[in-house]
Formats: sequence, structure tokens, C-alpha cells
Amino acid sequence: MTPAADHRAGGLPDSPPAAEFVEVSKRFGRVVACDHVNLALHRGRIHGVLGENGAGKSTLMKMLIGLILPDDGHIRIHGEPVKIVDPIEAARMGIAMVHQHFSLVEPLTVWENVALGDTGRLDPARIRRRVGEISEQYGLEIDPDDRIFDLTAGMRQRVEIIKCLRRDPEILVFDEPTSVLSPAESEFLFAALRRVVEDQGKAVALVSHKLAEVISASDEITIMRDGKVVDYRPTAGSDPATLARAMVGRDVVLRREHAAFGVIDDSGDGAAPVKQPVAQQGQPVLRITGASVTGRDGRVLLDGLDLEVHAGEIVGVAGVEGNGQRTLGDVLSSLCPLAAGRVEVGGQQVATGQAGAMAGAGIAIIPEDRHDSGCVLDFTVAENIFIADPQRVARRGLMNRAQMNGMASELIEKFDIVCNGARAPMWSLSGGNQQRVVLARELSHQPRVLVAAQPTRGLDVGAIEYMSSQLRAAADNGVGVLLISTELEEILDLADRIIVISNGRIVGGMRRDEVDIAELGLMMGGAQ
Amino acid sequence: MSDVGEHIVTEPEEDEVASAALQRSRFGITGEVIALYAICVFVALAIAAICVAATGGSWVNVYTAILDGSIRKPGRWGLTLGVSAPILLVALGTVVNGRAGLVNIGQEGQLVMGSCFASYVAVRLGGPGPMVLIIAMLCGIVGGAIWAGIAGALRYYRNVPEVLSTLLMGTVAQNLMGWGLRKPWLLLAPAAGRANRNQVSEPLNSHTRIPRVTWFGNEFPISVLVALVLCIGVWVVLDRSVIGFRLRMLGRNPKTAQRSGVAERRYGIGAMLVSGAFAGLAGGIMLAGGDFGNYQLVANFGAGIGFAGLLAALVARQRVIVLLFVAFLFGCMRTGTGFLTATGVSGRVSDVVQGLLVLSLLLPPAILYVRERRRALSATSTRV
Repeated sequence: MTPAADHRAGGLPDSPPAAEFVEVSKRFGRVVACDHVNLALHRGRIHGVLGENGAGKSTLMKMLIGLILPDDGHIRIHGEPVKIVDPIEAARMGIAMVHQHFSLVEPLTVWENVALGDTGRLDPARIRRRVGEISEQYGLEIDPDDRIFDLTAGMRQRVEIIKCLRRDPEILVFDEPTSVLSPAESEFLFAALRRVVEDQGKAVALVSHKLAEVISASDEITIMRDGKVVDYRPTAGSDPATLARAMVGRDVVLRREHAAFGVIDDSGDGAAPVKQPVAQQGQPVLRITGASVTGRDGRVLLDGLDLEVHAGEIVGVAGVEGNGQRTLGDVLSSLCPLAAGRVEVGGQQVATGQAGAMAGAGIAIIPEDRHDSGCVLDFTVAENIFIADPQRVARRGLMNRAQMNGMASELIEKFDIVCNGARAPMWSLSGGNQQRVVLARELSHQPRVLVAAQPTRGLDVGAIEYMSSQLRAAADNGVGVLLISTELEEILDLADRIIVISNGRIVGGMRRDEVDIAELGLMMGGAQ
Repeated sequence: MSDVGEHIVTEPEEDEVASAALQRSRFGITGEVIALYAICVFVALAIAAICVAATGGSWVNVYTAILDGSIRKPGRWGLTLGVSAPILLVALGTVVNGRAGLVNIGQEGQLVMGSCFASYVAVRLGGPGPMVLIIAMLCGIVGGAIWAGIAGALRYYRNVPEVLSTLLMGTVAQNLMGWGLRKPWLLLAPAAGRANRNQVSEPLNSHTRIPRVTWFGNEFPISVLVALVLCIGVWVVLDRSVIGFRLRMLGRNPKTAQRSGVAERRYGIGAMLVSGAFAGLAGGIMLAGGDFGNYQLVANFGAGIGFAGLLAALVARQRVIVLLFVAFLFGCMRTGTGFLTATGVSGRVSDVVQGLLVLSLLLPPAILYVRERRRALSATSTRV
């Protein structure tokens, strides 16, 4: 079934494809990333490319913008077979990509970032004017003279989009564009995309693993699994369940799987019922009052933040990236002292910013960036497990390697960590397994509080499921869980109580069983 | 990905094949590494030989002289050991700060400070010789530790890069010693003992010197044995103890270390103090050991031993046991120079040989690193 034949069957208007993959294959060693893929991007349409992590969608798009060369098959632009050897070549052909991770220079202004990569004489006035024109034309409101570090993630993405649009490309690729956006910002982005497509007749590819957003934003959908195109259909009339099944190759029943695909299930009557909230009685296991932190550059990172976590409940901290989540995680990792306020665990005040104090008080943490503060990549798996308490495998100050590796092997088995034994270096593990090592270590200390900061970022569905069930199990065992996440779906899936962080303070909250998505979105957007 | 089922069926067999291949390649890799080092050393010696020949000397004579002077002639082992001991001590300290992720390149200055402290105390303190000697050595340790500790404190309290501060403090130390050697109330020897020479300190009393022993016709100070014991001690602490584990953690990932209870300041400054202490002790034993001058301080007393130790640590790439050999090799280069004069070639030739040798020993790790990186990169891109 070729895409062309199929979309005729689907009744979408016919137009010559702006870009077309013909039987494109790419292998990396023994792994087939793309296996005879056929896919066409048409002018005036948004083409959703759906798939799990590792399904081959990013590889495919990288071939389109010349970062990777196909092994087999070819790419056609406006019907002409072409060889795209590098991104410059791709730009010449009118292909541009908005990457998942921003590539902006933070101390520079918006227009300066837009001008980066230009050659010849710099004409600030002209570039400013152009930025103004584009932002007006597409409704991407922005001040060309703002500095990047003052901007929210959503605004930064606008800058990225303007960077792309300025060269007036025919074909636009968006790679996981909403991963750092709030729901409102996502909607805004899709509205802008719609304008780009309808007014300018551009061809857009929207790469995502979130079903819900692809369904709401696209005209047609291609689903990839294990490097192959497994389904192609017009968006109108497709239902999430069928698409989800095609994506993973089996039925998707669990709520947390829905969450992994970004399907917001706010009715609360999914396959698994929403857990009744734990009665909040007695003393909270974790209480933060009036926490304030000011950064080195004088910016207020936390501004009188208050929160409480009780034993056995999962409290989800929702919010748009960059509103103090990272600082909150740092404070609870002893990486950053408080300028004012206090942190109490089980009623006892804990010194902030003092090495090991938080861990010693019983706060386990799965950090936002595990390479940054969660593990030592050059250490072995066993060493990483005993990072915080080497004394456990030491006698009179000398470490017993055999004992350490033995105990680590048990944990490796218990947590199903795929690695070359306890002595394998940490860097040799995949991201999901590194995360399991961190989890195994933190849970093996019998913590009172478990802080999970963006625990599933960058993980695939299987790993997300595992992480979610572990968090749930920890809460069931009486640990107070604080889940800090920018993925609202994840929080809705797991949390018993949701609080919203904005500009370094908690601006509101609600119980999971009384959740109001619209109101949450408003709070996340900063409305009081 | 589609061959998952197949893979499971063939797994045991594949595993055996893979491990056999791994065994083979491990031997292959070891051979490769040895060959690489051999080639590099050979090239370095050849270049040095060409240099000697080009300046009108005989390279055969030069290499013979270096070998004779360092190990072949009777009694030279003892001298070489005596010279190697302070190099080893300095290098041990360098490994300590290296493990904590800090760079100390001011060992020469810390060594000088150590020798000054030791000298000041040793010539003034009365009492039984061994006690004075031990106290003087302890003062040497303190002197070196203070000098490195200042750099450490500046690093952690004021964000001053320790690379710069250690190096510059080294210059300050040299000049301080020069100044002290002009002040009778500090280091300068009383006029009577100076024999018209300026800028020397009072020689140590014969009973406050480090005892020398003679083994197999080779005489050396017992500080050599102390250095060996310390070497084993450092190895145990760094590679086997909880403290060493935490120090490595700090060096590899300070944030993880901080969260896991390794206070950056305490461990970091501690590492600098220990590093300086070793350099200070090296200065002390140079003064009291007898292989470096006449048990007294002179201008330029450090004689580049601090830098030699730093280089030795670099060449050994922070592996304590390897240090033993590298430090001895560096000792050989120094004592070998003593016999060069007879060949009519300038003693500086051995510096050239040493420099080229260091380069040749540093190149293979760099080459291996780049290749490992490439392999790792190709392996990760396979995973995409």
C-alpha cells in the first residue's frame, strides 16, 4: 500500500508531493533504523509522523535535512530525485527543521540569534524588521530586542520557528516540538502551524510520540514501528485506540500507557480507576516553607515556595519548564542552599546546601539530569550503587570490592538492569538502564521521601511504564513521593494531588479526582 | 530489531564466540599498546641520538654514559634511588590532587617552602637528633601543605583557578627563599660557616641528617624506604579506601559527590593540602637526605625535582604503582647526567633525552584515547 494510493482512497485533495521518501533504508551496524520507508509530504498539509522512541522517525527526518545519508532508496523534492548531503544543501532546497532541543545563544537578543549564520554585512535594522514581519504574519508575537535567557520555553521556540521561517522554506519539519511547552503554548504553536500551512501552502512534518497532539494538529498520519511504516491514514476519523495499537503493535490498556502517548484522560474513568487520595493526616514527611533562592545573576529562582508531602501520596508538581523546578530539585539534592525558608523531613529541619544532608535525612532523588547529579559515568554500576554509603561495603575504611559487586549484582537482578555485570562502566548502559541504577540505589536506602524530577524524560514506553509502576509502588509502601514534571499527562496519570509551580512559587493545587485541566493550564500559564 | 527471536535462540553460542573474540582482542590490544610504547620510545631515543650527532658528539658514548651513571657503575643505584625518592613523593601528591579533579602545577614551590621550613627548624631546634629530624620533616610537610592549601582555599572560596595560583605561588616561594637566604635571622648561615659564599643556609648537624644505609654496595638515605612505604599507603588509600572512593567521585562528578555527602570544599582543600604536604616532605628529605648538595639550602635548591615529579605523575597517568617505575626512570636520567661530562657533551643533553622520553610516553595514551573515543562513537551511533 503506497501512501499515494492510500490518500487517494482517504479522499484528501491531491497535490504533487513537496518531499517524498521512496523506499528509503538506513542501517546502523545490525540495527535497521529505517526499512524501505515510503512517505510523502504535501504542500498545504501537516503530516504527523508517529512512533515510539527508536521507531526511526528522527532518523528519517535527519535524512531529509542532510544530517544522515540513506543507505538505500532516495528522496524526491518536488518530484526530482535529489541527494541531500548536508543541512546547507537542505536549506538551499527549502527544507528547514525545528529541533527538539533549542540551539539559541542565551545572552544574545532575539534578532541576533536570528541573524546567526548569516554571512556578509550585518544589517540589524533589516533583520529586526524581518523578525517583526514574520511575527506579525504568523501571529508569533515577540520582541526582537529581548534577550533569550529572559524568555520562556514557548517564546524560545518561537525564536527557533522564526529562524526557520525567515529563509522562507517550502518544507518544515518539527521534531517533538511540544516536549517543553505548556498545554496553552502547544495549542498556540499548532494554531501558528495551521496558519503557515493554510496561508503559505507549506508542507509540514510533525514528528511526535504524543498521539493526542498529532490527532489534533495533523491532516494525515504515518505511523512507524521498528523502522517500518506500519500504517498511513488521514487524520479525520481515526481514533486514538487504533493508532496506539499500531504504534506499539498491541492493545494499549493501561492509563499510564495512555499517558506515555500524551493522551489526557481527564474523565478519570480509564481502564484503571483513579486511586482514592490518601487521607492527609498527621505530620507531612516533607514540608518546605517559604523557600527562596536567588541565582548568581540576581534572578529569583524560588520565591517563597511552600509545599507538603504526606507519607503514601504522590504529589505532582506541574508547571512549564523554567519556573523553578530545577532549583527545587537542586535544593532537595543538597546542591543549593536556601536564602530563606526551611526544609523539614518528618518534622526535623534539614540543613540546606550541606553535602549529603538531604540524602542523610531520607530524601531519595531521581534527578532531572542523571548525568549531572545522579551518577558518575566513569564509575562502575556497583560503584554507582554505593555512591552515597560506601561504608556499607567497607570495613575499617577499606572497601570490600567483592562484597560491593555481590550486593550490586543482587540489585541488578532485582531491578532488571540490563548491563554487563556489576563491573560494567556506567557509560556503557542505555539511558533507561542508567535510570534504573539510580532508582535501585535511591530505593535501596529505605527513603522517607522520593523526589522524581522529570523521571521519564527521554525514556521509551517500556521504561516509562516501569518507572511509573516503581513510583506507585514506593508510594504504596508509605514513601512520600514528589513528582516534578513538565509532562502534564505524566502528572495526571500518577499524582494523587497536583500543585502548580510558576515563577518559583506554588500558585495553586487540586486533588487528582477533582482536576480541572483548563484551570491547571491557566495556573501553569502564570494566571493567578 | 526484527531478529529478536532469532537472537535469543542463538544467544549461548554467540556469547561464547563473542567472549572468545574478546579474549583474543584483549591480547591483541595489550600487544598493540606495548608495541606503540616501544615505537614511541625508540623514536624519541633516535631523535635524541640525531641531536647529539648533529652537535658533534657521539651518541653511543652519551647513552653509555647515562646508563653507567644511573645504574651500571658500582654504587650508582644508591644515588639514583636517593634522587628518585623525592620525585616519587612529589608525584604521589600530584596523584592525590589529580584524583580530586584538581590541577596542581606548583610542586616546585611547595617543595621549596617545605625545605625552608625544615631547614629553619632543624638548625635551631635543640635536642636528640632523631627527634629534631622528625620535627623538621613534619615542619617541611606543613610548609608544603600551607603553600598548596592557600591555592586550594582560593579555589573554593574565591573561585581562583588553582592552575594559575599554584604556579604563581611557586614563583613567590622561590623568591621568598632567595630573600630568606639573605637574612641571617631567617635562613642565611652565620658568616663563619659560609666560607665567603652568600645565600647558603647553615648545614644540618650530622646527627640531624637522615641516616644512610648501604645495601649491596649502594648507599642511600632511609627516606627511600619511607617513600616506598608512603607509595603503598597512597595506593591503598586511593584505590581501596572509602576516602579514595569519595575523592574519585569528587573528581569525576562534583555534583553527584555533593549530593552523596562529599563536601567539595573539605575534600578538595584536603586533597590540595595532602598534595602540598608530599611536595614539602620531598623538600625536607632533599635537604636532610644528602643526595642534593651539602645538607644546606642554596639558591635554586629545588633543582626542578618538583617539575620532574609533576611530569612523572602525568606520565604514569595517576596510577600509583606505575609511578614507582616512572620516578625511578626520571631518577636515572638525572644521575646519568653526572657521567656525561667525560663524553664532552653538555649535560643538558640529558634534559633533551628526558623531554623526548616524556613526550614519547605521553603520546601512546593520547593515541589510544582518540582511538577509543572513535570506537565508542561508532558504537553509540550504531545504537541510534
